[in-house]
Amino acid sequence: MKILRKTYSFIAIAGLFLTFTACEDYLDINENPNNPTTAPLSGLMVNSTFETAQNTFRIGNTTSNYVQYLASPNQGSASDVMDELSFNTTWSSLYNVMTDLNDMILEANETGASHYEGAGQILMALNLAMTVDAFGDAPFSESFNFETITPAYDDDAALYNRVFELLENGIANLSQETDLPIGSDDYIYNGDADQWIKFGNMLKARYANHLSKTDQYNPTEILAAIDAGFESNEDNAEVEYFEEEFNPWANVAINNENLILGGWISEQFVEATDGTTFGVEDPRLPYMIGTTDDGEYIGVPNGEGRGSAAESGERSTLVPGDFYTSEQSPVLIATYAEQKFIEAEAAFEIDKTRSYNAYLEGIRAHMRMLGVEQSEIDAYVNSSAVSVGEDNFTIDHIFKEKWVAMFLHPEAWVDARRHDYDYENFDLPANLNPDLNGQFIRRLRYPDSEIGRNGSNVPDVTLLDRIFWDE
Amino acid sequence: MALLAFFQITGVLAQQTEVTGTVTVASDGMPLPGVNVLVKGTNDGTVTDMDGNYAIEVAADAVLVFSSLGFENQEQAIEGRSVINVAMIEDMEGLDEVVVTSLGIEREKKALGYAVQEIQGEDITKTNQPNIVSALQGQTAGVQITNSGGAPGQSARIIIRGVNSLDPNADNQPLFVIDGVPVDNSTTESGSTPRGLSNRAADINPNDIESMNVLKGAAATALYGVRAANGAVIITTKKGKAGDVRINVNSSIGFEEVNQYPEIQDVYGQGFGGVYDPNSFWPNWGPSIDEIREIDPDAQINDIWRDAMRTGIQIDNSFNISGGNEKANFYASLNNLDQEGIIPFSDWGRTSARLNGELKFSDQFKVAGNMSYTISGGNRVPHDRFMERMVYNTPMQDINDYINEDGTMKSIGTNTNPIYDARFSTFEDEVNRIIGNLNFTYSPFEWMDVNYLIGTDFYTDSRTEITPGPLGIEGEVPLSSQGFITETRIDSRDINSNLFITLKKQWDDKWNTTLRVGNDVFERDYERVDATGENFVIPQFYDLSYASQISNSQDKRKKRLVGLYGDLMVDYDDMLFLNITARNDWTSTLPQGNNSFFYPSVNLGFAFTEAFEMPEVLSYGKLRASYAEVGKDTDPYRIGQTYTSPGIFPLGGEVGFTRFSQFGDLGLKPERTTSIELGTDLRFFGNRLGIDFTWYKSNSKDQIIPVPVSESSGFSTFITNAGEIENQGVEFIITGNPIRTEDFTWNVTLNAAYNQNEVVSIREGIEQIQVGSQYGYAGSTVTMQLIEGEAYGNIFGSSYERYGADANNLFLNEDLPKVIGENGFPVRNGNQLILGNTTPKWIGGLKNDFTYKNFDLSFLIDFRTGLEQYSQYDNFFSAFGIAEYTLDRNETRVFEGVLADGTPNTQEVWLGQGEGPDGRDYGAGYYRNNYRTVSENFVHDASFIKLRNISLGYNFGDNVLDAISFLETARVSVAANNIILYTPWDGFDPESFSAGAGGNATGFTGLGYPGVQSLFFTLNLGL
Repeated sequence: MKILRKTYSFIAIAGLFLTFTACEDYLDINENPNNPTTAPLSGLMVNSTFETAQNTFRIGNTTSNYVQYLASPNQGSASDVMDELSFNTTWSSLYNVMTDLNDMILEANETGASHYEGAGQILMALNLAMTVDAFGDAPFSESFNFETITPAYDDDAALYNRVFELLENGIANLSQETDLPIGSDDYIYNGDADQWIKFGNMLKARYANHLSKTDQYNPTEILAAIDAGFESNEDNAEVEYFEEEFNPWANVAINNENLILGGWISEQFVEATDGTTFGVEDPRLPYMIGTTDDGEYIGVPNGEGRGSAAESGERSTLVPGDFYTSEQSPVLIATYAEQKFIEAEAAFEIDKTRSYNAYLEGIRAHMRMLGVEQSEIDAYVNSSAVSVGEDNFTIDHIFKEKWVAMFLHPEAWVDARRHDYDYENFDLPANLNPDLNGQFIRRLRYPDSEIGRNGSNVPDVTLLDRIFWDE
Repeated sequence: MALLAFFQITGVLAQQTEVTGTVTVASDGMPLPGVNVLVKGTNDGTVTDMDGNYAIEVAADAVLVFSSLGFENQEQAIEGRSVINVAMIEDMEGLDEVVVTSLGIEREKKALGYAVQEIQGEDITKTNQPNIVSALQGQTAGVQITNSGGAPGQSARIIIRGVNSLDPNADNQPLFVIDGVPVDNSTTESGSTPRGLSNRAADINPNDIESMNVLKGAAATALYGVRAANGAVIITTKKGKAGDVRINVNSSIGFEEVNQYPEIQDVYGQGFGGVYDPNSFWPNWGPSIDEIREIDPDAQINDIWRDAMRTGIQIDNSFNISGGNEKANFYASLNNLDQEGIIPFSDWGRTSARLNGELKFSDQFKVAGNMSYTISGGNRVPHDRFMERMVYNTPMQDINDYINEDGTMKSIGTNTNPIYDARFSTFEDEVNRIIGNLNFTYSPFEWMDVNYLIGTDFYTDSRTEITPGPLGIEGEVPLSSQGFITETRIDSRDINSNLFITLKKQWDDKWNTTLRVGNDVFERDYERVDATGENFVIPQFYDLSYASQISNSQDKRKKRLVGLYGDLMVDYDDMLFLNITARNDWTSTLPQGNNSFFYPSVNLGFAFTEAFEMPEVLSYGKLRASYAEVGKDTDPYRIGQTYTSPGIFPLGGEVGFTRFSQFGDLGLKPERTTSIELGTDLRFFGNRLGIDFTWYKSNSKDQIIPVPVSESSGFSTFITNAGEIENQGVEFIITGNPIRTEDFTWNVTLNAAYNQNEVVSIREGIEQIQVGSQYGYAGSTVTMQLIEGEAYGNIFGSSYERYGADANNLFLNEDLPKVIGENGFPVRNGNQLILGNTTPKWIGGLKNDFTYKNFDLSFLIDFRTGLEQYSQYDNFFSAFGIAEYTLDRNETRVFEGVLADGTPNTQEVWLGQGEGPDGRDYGAGYYRNNYRTVSENFVHDASFIKLRNISLGYNFGDNVLDAISFLETARVSVAANNIILYTPWDGFDPESFSAGAGGNATGFTGLGYPGVQSLFFTLNLGL
């Protein structure tokens, strides 16, 4: 009996021992089969260019109500009346793409892929500036590389210095020779380094021009950047959409057509372009927005809702198939037309003739981009409301025409704030958020996710606190 | 017990004599079938037949042992008798009660040093709950069960002694074990809008269950290892018994209704600002119906909430057949359940088959096998979306008039009709599942058993979600502009292998020891594939091949666990019981080097009434103490940094990459839970009154938490060891048997439990962990956050500014006066304060069973108290003027409170929209501008007392049974379920949360599937 017991114990122990030794291999199965541990540069480029376009849409989608391109068909809608909203998705999308750009820049730097590094820096500058323009102070210097889980907020003015630095470095890197050129993984320029350099310069001009209210404003530098910037609409930074994935504005229009309401045009925009406010009918309207069933352009007053109008056919909305709203339309990130208006603004005090010509060329460039007939372009540009003559030409004309040309773009909100929303006949929305004390919104609120996760660093601000360039 | 009998030494045959007799129940004289009659000291024996009769050949000097579950054992020496009749004495809450603990091992309850509570199959089926988790409600102390809603097949959540993890996504539910083999009880909610999917334990046919045993503490579960760190629910299925073949048929039909509706107004109709507009998006901000009738004389306001719901029906048929002899036995069953819910087009069903069998080849070798096959699933309506659309739809319509003749939707104010959506936006799941095991027992010696138990739980879950696009008919309002189809395939395969050796030794008549050592291997192989096609090429032809935009995703997971364990039990004189366990686990999910962890447990039971002389009223008394540790690993693939390709790619032939938002600590190590438990079990007056009391405390340290971190850090989630959570509480079980006469018996059980939870620490730099959040209009969104020093489940949100409030106090002080602003309205405080806690402080149940002659009546009341929930319904109802309290919308009022300087407010304000009687413009009005923006208004006391189940049955007597010769037993019963007796909650059943049983954010009702009460009629026949 005793011997037997010993035998069994031995077998048991031997069995257990076998289990031990086999164990290590048996358990070594924790390598993730779903996600790779490295990403190719081209994969990061694909996602970064695509997501940059998406971010342009995301912010434009929010701010188009603030600058009254669009209006909600529903009364007192939060976006119309400038309520405090939490932009968790926009925030995380901005930081996600900046994180990927951070990795792309580091990896490109290590492998000597200077064009990837340069394009990454330019896109980083753009996404960072979009973040600052919407939110003000933001995390950056302690971000992306997991140095801390609660990154500090950098001062917004300091971040603008980073934007310019990134653009400088980006341009420099793109100017180098490379063995690893960018290709079709670049949805914006298909790897054309010259266009990337122009884009970098255009953005330098854009962000330097944002400083118009500050004492750092330097028109000469802006004009110098513009000289190295876009030369025509051919240089526009844009991402054309896909059969598999429609342009997001096209989706808004398609949804609205199917009565999932959205993309209704503000009365403000309609009246500014149909002759009501300025006495000249803008030939671009048919390329931009739809009419009622009766062929008229009728907008919705912001904050008031559509009143007694039916869900379709009685107001102007975005409609599928227009320039901004075709399934494969590009999302415009930066355009030659925008650059012309920046030129007009920068030159206004130092070379008014250049300014005036740039203003007129900005309108023409936008119209050519939309595909407006040359005769219609000439008729509009030559009208007395537009060709006011150099002497009667004011900064307001630039802002008004730039506002039309920047349709649906986030830059329009930067302009509106720089211009103190001082457009002709521009009214506060009905049912305005009472916390705004009768004033226009000046920034977005930090998202709930950030307040919850990084609360001690999040600055305490109201919607009336201004970004540094707006003070 | 069969096992124990099996190990008896085979005796030498002596002079044989035949003994016959009848075994009856002492209390009522009824014959008792199925009693084991064994010759003491041998393996020979028989079982009584249906009439309690037995016959056995035995040696003249033999002693017979009569045993049956629920009765005290009796020994009778033959002493020359040829007829021995025995009256078995019922074992009140059986001291010798056998319970199934870890690894399917049966142990006497009195030998345990920790609390266990066993529920008999009958008490499960009596509840008529198709889901065995719901069936446990109110029946076990310290076990909190919450139905996530009233949808057919909808999941129920089970939490034992509080939440043990800081991880918002952790599964805090116990391990489910069927016949010794762990099975999956996960809940996979739909990815988009909630649809009330099932927890996988719902695949189990309750009629197959012999008993369920809830193991609560870590002590009870040390032998299941990491997977049972939250406790275990041990399910034993039915077995065939030696004797005639028995057939059981059970049929029931049930009807369901919503058990509570919210209070809604029926005065104001469609429009905004008090202006009537029959096309308005706004359902209830128009003028009163009387004013509307001046414009439109036919207008009326309907109760669309009641109109939209229907009576649910549940039909359950089951059949089983069982039988056997001393060598072999079997049990086979079939079950079909069909359920239609109260929201139109919601349904769920389950068809299952089971075969259990056992074969004794010899005294040394035995094989048992169990196998079940289940098909379950149904159409899951998007209840959250349904209810949201109910909010938007005007009551001035017939909500059931939803479809045009051409198949398009009837829509008012561009709103989607919820019933149309429920009908056409389908989501059908079908689970095919096999659970099976084989159990080999080899007993080479009296003192040794070798067991090998291998089992699998394999299922495929096929889901098809379809939302139609436009039908291509002019002027239609489609459900979606493009339409889509998503096909989901989930394959999950668990394999468990368990080899253990048991060595037993009786040293003398007082000392007894049992030692068990074993090895346990677990593997889960899981794969999920999703394919979505958007934009149907042909309207109403829903197939992936005919969609123009396709996207796919794939998720593969594999996990392995290896464990080694030992378990030593020492009994001294039926008085002192010591149990020591030790286990080491190796897991594949932690970094090598950190993936091995050891944990011990010890527990002690002392039956002091056996040791000391006690007053006669105390018939039995035992003290229990235990200490246990248990380790816990994590999910696969959580270590390090990875990249992923978002689902949108490929686009234009390119595949994009992005950094995966989750980063796992490279030095991740196992969590550790330490628990202490003390308890006592006291029986008075000949066991007619029992009191069981338990105190416990458990601390879980080094928690593996996915900490949500600022997205600016480069990740949104950081998985690391951080923090400690503590639960302590008490549990009482009081059992009584106040009346026990021949005709009338009354048994009563009361259980109650109190749990206190504290987040002891988190991690430096992390102030809070968000477990969940739920939307509320205009800044009234609430979150559930974990904060150091506070309890699990606090709800944070906006509140009204209070005068004199301490700025450092996280809790809202409702006793302070509200601050009224210059505009005359209460001032909103956007700082997130604690408005309530979602974990009940006290839970419990009261169960009563009465029998009078052939009638039996039982009812179960359960309660929970000391918790708050956020009512998203209430938030929407105030924003849309639906709530009854918005009837004061055209009144003028002075808000109670003080101005910023502390002086009382005296300003009159109007609550309506637009220009008030005082000429002031009030904009969108009080409810939209103010009330709906303050979370405080929507966090309410969610306590309840429910009549969980009441059932009245009649057992047909011999006069009927004798007349129908093939009938052995017959019973009819009527039962009602889930009737709310009391709740301060205004709204649908507070027992509802939108996260589903898989989630921990239980404090948010969402726009959940309303709870239901039901009425059942059941017929049970034994053949």
